[in-house]
Amino acid sequence: MQVNRHFYLGLAERGVRMPIGADLVLHEEPDPEAVRRDGLSLGRVIERAARRWNTPLALPLMDLRLEKYDLLALASIPEHEAEAYQFSAPLDEQTMTALCDVSATSYCAGSLARNQAIAHIASVPGLLPVGMVIGPFSLATRLMRDPITAVALTGMGGDEQQSPEIQLLLQCLRASEAAVLRSIRAQVKHGASAIVVCEPAACTAFFSPRQLKAGSNSFERFVMGPNQRIRAALELASCDLIFHDCGELIDSMVADFAERLHPVILSLGSSRKLWDDARLVPADVVLFGNLPSKSFYSDAAMPIETLANLTRELIDNMQACGHPHIVGSECDVLFVPEAQHAIRAKVDAMMSCATHAGNAPQQALAGTAQP
Amino acid sequence: MAVSSELYEAILTGDARTAHAATQAAIDSGIGPMELITGSMVPAMNEVGRLYEAEEYFVPELLLAGRAMKSAMELLRPLIAAAGLKLSNRIIIGTVKGDLHDIGKNIVASMLEGSGFEVIDLGADVPPEKFVAAVQEREPHVVCMSSLLTVTMPVMRTTIQALESAGVRHKVKVLIGGAPVTQQYADEIGADGYGDNASLAVSAVKKLCAVA
Repeated sequence: MQVNRHFYLGLAERGVRMPIGADLVLHEEPDPEAVRRDGLSLGRVIERAARRWNTPLALPLMDLRLEKYDLLALASIPEHEAEAYQFSAPLDEQTMTALCDVSATSYCAGSLARNQAIAHIASVPGLLPVGMVIGPFSLATRLMRDPITAVALTGMGGDEQQSPEIQLLLQCLRASEAAVLRSIRAQVKHGASAIVVCEPAACTAFFSPRQLKAGSNSFERFVMGPNQRIRAALELASCDLIFHDCGELIDSMVADFAERLHPVILSLGSSRKLWDDARLVPADVVLFGNLPSKSFYSDAAMPIETLANLTRELIDNMQACGHPHIVGSECDVLFVPEAQHAIRAKVDAMMSCATHAGNAPQQALAGTAQP
Repeated sequence: MAVSSELYEAILTGDARTAHAATQAAIDSGIGPMELITGSMVPAMNEVGRLYEAEEYFVPELLLAGRAMKSAMELLRPLIAAAGLKLSNRIIIGTVKGDLHDIGKNIVASMLEGSGFEVIDLGADVPPEKFVAAVQEREPHVVCMSSLLTVTMPVMRTTIQALESAGVRHKVKVLIGGAPVTQQYADEIGADGYGDNASLAVSAVKKLCAVA
């Protein structure tokens, strides 16, 4: 069921802070890998993560491998080979038909567990069941050996008739879009009220600002087109779009995501200054992030006091610009065995540090933020 | 002035087809392979690196330039081997075990090759023992390791320890890079160098080989 934008704006107004932190909680389990494949146990982990950080947003694991597993299974590629598997030449008609089968219903163990976990969260009062998918372009880039070159050749004016790389990219993109739609459909069926679409590859590493400035339509063709269709499917299913892209972006990319995809939440990486981006983002789109969680592991690269200062700076600047904002991590905060204490301390600092204006984080939201 | 201005321009603009044709034309006119590498390809890749540092070029331009350079090298490599010539220094490169992200590593490999190094690319998800075996067999001057994930970074330390255990650590310099990697981390795990981006990684390798 689609939740009113006011719900998300309300969270921002109440000063919610939260990491994307289910992976940290998962690794408190004696056998995290078993929990990944057990829907009820995984659901309880996600529930515990939401409770720990006092948020009604029950964000699942950001496991961006699942749609690739599900997709490649349709081409009879087993899960243990799927992660490293890449297509190296244009696909034949038979493979494309199998990959693009929108009615396929087979899912890997991780996807099944994620879906069951969503169903569990949907039964828990006070929590919003949130699903997660990799974006179609990002999935396409994982299916082929050299996606950047294919995008760049398109940016130079190449087309699929001249270039097998471009032909393969377009095929992978078509298959990826079908896989993402299948995944969304399954998650919505299990009760997801919102879906996080993660498109980290939609960034300047893949799309040269130089080519875009010269008039290339590659970003439109490979990112915006597919994601607008994903957005339309979500709308049809009355499911909210949360859009996440922690890659390096230029302003026009941020504006396209914010205005044309018009998500309820836009989550960006730490390379962006959110208070500057506020001018690119409609007032009813909550900005999320964007503390540098990729550096949390290192006390040398990211001392705890630096993180506290960054948190204060972010909150103060967002309050000053008046744009709705949820303080969060720039991406999922991953468990790193040798750095677990450093990472947890950074998350605690992000959650607890007071701002220069003296504002402490809002506490005990779960009871008051019934979606 | 480049030995072959056409090859230089083709690499600079990432035009693989023209680079291939220009290389063939240069060979046909009697220009030697090492002369082409040092006189056209290395200056072109240096310029690509400069434009990247100046934020006029981005990752896609680096890859296209690397691709153009590779298409030229395809023609030159057999000539180099036939003449018994050697490229300047040998580099082994790979993404560490558990990490399948190879884009950054591929860019660095291309730029190193374009800078005249002999590059042995071990690929992605490379276990420490494979790095050790490659060092023992190929005797490189530098080992480059890449990791994009915080969870796979510790494998860089493990790999350095494996090089130590195998008694070959003192024979090679180790350079690390990747999105979450920092100079502090390089110092912490005992790496000899760190590249914040592809261009700086190449500069660091040159420094380590003392050919800068």
